[in-house]
Amino acid sequence: MFFTTEFKTEFKTTIITVLLLLGPAVFCGVRAMGAPQSSAAPANAAEENWRKEFNDVCGKTQDAMSFTPEQLTDLIRRCDDLRPQIEKTGKLDETGKKVYLGRLRMCRGLYAYVLDEKKKEKK
Amino acid sequence: MNKVSMNQIKTAKIIFVALAVMLAVCGPASSQTGIKKRRPLPYEYGRVIIRNYSEKAGLAPVVFEHWIHRSKFTCRVCHVDVGFAMKAGATDITAADNAHGYYCGACHNGKRVVDGKTLFQSCSEHATPEDTKRCEHCHSYGLKVASDYDFFEFSEPLPKERFGNGLDWEKAEELGLIKPSASLEGVTIKRNALVVQKDFMLNPKVEGMPDIIFSHTKHTVWNGCELCHPEIFVGVKKGTSHYSMVEITEGKSCGVCHTKVAFPLADCQRCHSKPVEP
Repeated sequence: MFFTTEFKTEFKTTIITVLLLLGPAVFCGVRAMGAPQSSAAPANAAEENWRKEFNDVCGKTQDAMSFTPEQLTDLIRRCDDLRPQIEKTGKLDETGKKVYLGRLRMCRGLYAYVLDEKKKEKK
Repeated sequence: MNKVSMNQIKTAKIIFVALAVMLAVCGPASSQTGIKKRRPLPYEYGRVIIRNYSEKAGLAPVVFEHWIHRSKFTCRVCHVDVGFAMKAGATDITAADNAHGYYCGACHNGKRVVDGKTLFQSCSEHATPEDTKRCEHCHSYGLKVASDYDFFEFSEPLPKERFGNGLDWEKAEELGLIKPSASLEGVTIKRNALVVQKDFMLNPKVEGMPDIIFSHTKHTVWNGCELCHPEIFVGVKKGTSHYSMVEITEGKSCGVCHTKVAFPLADCQRCHSKPVEP
């Protein structure tokens, strides 16, 4: 045999040690490489937030008549806050903005209209 | 006859001819309704010709048939979620819009499957002469193009009515013969089921005219709330808004749909439906 048993055992120990040291290092490295991506994530999240908010606000139009004036006021405010977000988003082109702003106009219009009617009823 | 009376007759003739010409020209011009239009045939009713940009691009204008689309989707899907305007031509659709997945392109993208059929792609940014046949699916005004759907074959099993498309769309849905979808995947927001709104009665101004029974149920199921309120109807509470047949005929309130796509105003008894008490 070319290598002694002692050498073999020492070699194995070295390999295992190296792997144990490299493992966490590689793991941390990968995470570190992913860091720039995760810094972009909040921007993407912000871009997508308007869509979630849009779906949430305008997904309630069928319940408009059952809302209290306070709830309707809050929904109108949320629509008003959404408008500049849609106008500024880089995720939509001009037509996309036109479509979403049109949908937002319709759902805001409905809430404002129901609120107005509820106020008239109170008087 | 002397020369003076001959001249008087001549002058009278000239005045008579001038008056006749004036009447012939000014009569139709001063008329409110103008030239009487031909009533559209059942398969033409609801047809929209879209010609904002087609001719400039060297294509025939688009022929849009409401009947086939309304059998597949509710009004709300297209006029709220997809964003089509309620007035013909007002959406200002471009080929680029369709190619980017808006308007017609929201469904007609070559991928979406409706009733087991993959819908053809509406527009692409770089169309080649080989695409002509595909373009002519829609850009067909004035051309002899065979449609994928035959109106008579489609309408044959459906309950009939007298005007418009000659069909009772409401009954067709009740019988399960058509199933218009209220959502479009990737476009429509997931919503709770719609609270059924009560039908109500409206009293017409003309004495003896049967009362109008307004089917709020059917209208909300097809249109949702925001399609009609507040842009078409500004009053929620009964009696707060007044509508006249003149305005409706001009395309306001009920006339937004019931002059072009939904059953027409000539079908009086479908709205004025409460039996008159003897």
